Amino acid sequence: MSYDADSTFVFAFPTRVIYGAGAVSESSLECDRLGMDKVVLVSDRVLAEKTDVVAQVRKALGRRVVLEFLDVPPDSSVAAVEAGAAKAQAAGATGVVSVGGGSVIDTAKGIAILLREGGSLRDHEGFQNLTRKAAPHVVLPTTAGTGSEVTYVAVIKDAEAHRKLLFGDYNILPDSAILDPLLTVGLPAHLTAATGMDALSHALEAMHSLQRQPIADGLALRAIHEVRAALPTCVKTPGDVAARGRQLVASTMAGAAFSNAQVGLVHAIAHTVGARFGVHHGLANSIAMPSVVRFNALACPDQYRQVAEAFGVDPSGSDEALAERLAGAIYAFAKSLGLPGGFKDVGVPREALGELAEATLFDGSVIYNARTVTSAEEVLPVWEAAWQGEG
Amino acid sequence: MARFPSAEWVTLYQDAINGNPAYKVGGANWDKGVVALICKAKPDVGLEEDAGIWLDLHKGVCREARLVTSAEALKAPFCITGEYARWKQVIRKELDPITGMLQGKLRLKGDLPTIVRFVDASKALVESAGRVATEFPDD
Repeated sequence: MSYDADSTFVFAFPTRVIYGAGAVSESSLECDRLGMDKVVLVSDRVLAEKTDVVAQVRKALGRRVVLEFLDVPPDSSVAAVEAGAAKAQAAGATGVVSVGGGSVIDTAKGIAILLREGGSLRDHEGFQNLTRKAAPHVVLPTTAGTGSEVTYVAVIKDAEAHRKLLFGDYNILPDSAILDPLLTVGLPAHLTAATGMDALSHALEAMHSLQRQPIADGLALRAIHEVRAALPTCVKTPGDVAARGRQLVASTMAGAAFSNAQVGLVHAIAHTVGARFGVHHGLANSIAMPSVVRFNALACPDQYRQVAEAFGVDPSGSDEALAERLAGAIYAFAKSLGLPGGFKDVGVPREALGELAEATLFDGSVIYNARTVTSAEEVLPVWEAAWQGEG
Repeated sequence: MARFPSAEWVTLYQDAINGNPAYKVGGANWDKGVVALICKAKPDVGLEEDAGIWLDLHKGVCREARLVTSAEALKAPFCITGEYARWKQVIRKELDPITGMLQGKLRLKGDLPTIVRFVDASKALVESAGRVATEFPDD
């Protein structure tokens, strides 16, 4: 593991992580610890109406829940955040408890900002723009992929302006993440697979980011090992709590890794195709990974040798051969989980690839990719390979 | 030699930006508006109040540069805020500003991806600051 002599990094991981089957019962104690006597419970209608997950958390929190806000859309939006914050303020909430996947958690991060700062969410857009901590926030993830429970990022769609607001701020890092694998056992197989691959992509990207750093590397490599070991079981045997737990912890480790080391071209591609064609974020990352690994082959071979070892791939041979084997193994892994291999399989027309390649350069993630990308021409072959889905 | 931050330094900075061919190229497509910088007050070096630097950048040219209050600077669509010591690191090319934002050393109000898309312009702006003969009050 080598780093340049002039490398610098900051590693921030202030979120308290509580793990265990049944850990949902810890949520009330966490609220006590954080002085949260009046909370808004943020989730979505699917979880509230089709599962007992929200009911479990509500029961654990008792009378401190002054509002349930369940109107979170699949893509978190400014309108949802502002509506939730207004209702929470009116109800006297001083803290936020979120139960759900990435969209719910990001919405809750936005509500936590507005509970502290007021105003419009747009006023606070930026990087490290907040001058004080957002309202206290306890997260109970119900998917095992986004890692959002330990990241300093929130992405919230601004429908009026037709763009996504990006928040990156240590002040929105949740205070507590309660990892209860029982909350994830009801996740359908295809979402288990897609969100699980999201976690793998976070770990991979943390490893090949130009901002990579040894502490994040440690978390990322362990996460890669755990995803490989646990995710197939989660998909094939949804009720296996041990496997669900390993995957959930791996997702959190990968989240902490990329929150500090950043992400790269895989995410730039996923954000772009998600915005243009609505491809699920985890699935888009899954599809993009093999072609990005091939593209980066000569830029970070030492990192890829470590990733290969963690992923059970022979790390020997030339840099190109190694990247080829690693890319092939990631592709085969995704296929074994029942996921599609190429963007052509998820409704992306080939004619759109030029436009998508151009748009990739507008995504903030691209600058930290191991191999520098400066033009659409450079990245177009990556899109073509990902569209084709070459194993 | 001009003291940072001061009106004189800002004028020299504008000249340095406009005299930098790399900025002309990197910023050629910039039409996103003013970029403002805020240097936080540091009374022990004589900087009693926050200092704002207003850079009206358009298509590879700095049309106007002036010293403003922090309240005025915050009206710009993009505003980067940092402690005096951080700006000193940036001017001395010891800290890349985009890395600084990601690491919490500088604060950005505005859309990061837009700034990132113009990473060459951003680098040229920093390089231009390095070209100004700068006197730091605590040196």
